[in-house]
Amino acid sequence: MREQFPRRRRGAGGTVGVVPPEAAPLGDLDTILDEDVATDEPWLVIVWNDPINLMSFVTYVLQKLFGYSKEKATALMLDVHHKGRAVVSSGTRERAELDVYRLHEHGLWATMEQST
Amino acid sequence: MSSPIRRRRDGRYAVRLDTNARIVLADLARQLPEAIGAHDPMVRRLFPPAYPTAELAGAEHDYRELVDTALANHHTDALRTLVATAQADTLTESEFQAWLDAVGSLRLVLGTRLDVHEDMEAPDPEDPAAAEYSLFVFLGELQYLMVEVLADDLPAEGRPEGVL
Repeated sequence: MREQFPRRRRGAGGTVGVVPPEAAPLGDLDTILDEDVATDEPWLVIVWNDPINLMSFVTYVLQKLFGYSKEKATALMLDVHHKGRAVVSSGTRERAELDVYRLHEHGLWATMEQST
Repeated sequence: MSSPIRRRRDGRYAVRLDTNARIVLADLARQLPEAIGAHDPMVRRLFPPAYPTAELAGAEHDYRELVDTALANHHTDALRTLVATAQADTLTESEFQAWLDAVGSLRLVLGTRLDVHEDMEAPDPEDPAAAEYSLFVFLGELQYLMVEVLADDLPAEGRPEGVL
């Protein structure tokens, strides 16, 4: 199965994620950093409960995509089921977007938000 | 009775389904790519938001621009593979994965249209939605059996790092 994530175009306006300070001349910061990614806090990838996907399918996807043990993937799935959502991974904005995309490929309702 | 789906020793997946079920599957799968290409609201569930809040509408716009074509192609390729291999008794691993994706997409679209919720009771047989609900149940049973086989192939202890 294809697990390919489209690469983000680089260049004016195309940069996302946390830009290393040395790569960003001070004067350009406003154009490089999105208004909403000005801190280094990690991004959290969240899977939400949905009434359609099977529990065993959600567990399988978490094992397959993240390499989690059956036990950990099952615990996360049960969190999703009982609490409505669970954080399944975290990291840089780019990493989180990639994870969200892979979850979307598998039909899971996944979103991301920055840790506060 | 043994499961109609199993992984063979040669790595292929054997799928024992009756011809009528295969015809129905292929017919359902054939309808979706067009709806995906036309951005029909009925397939919206296949394109969930990454950034759901209003404050991040700009980021969501960028995410959609970045991934929607690839995501549409991903779903469409899987559906077309299902159509092309619907009558096959055995599938390669990538064909089997495509079936799983395609069956999942069909369930999401049908389930959204039926507005299914947890612990939902089957509609009355006279209900106009009853036939579509039966298809939804059939797809769920198929997905369950496929996942059972695939989950068996994964190491229960996990991997040190997830693969991309």
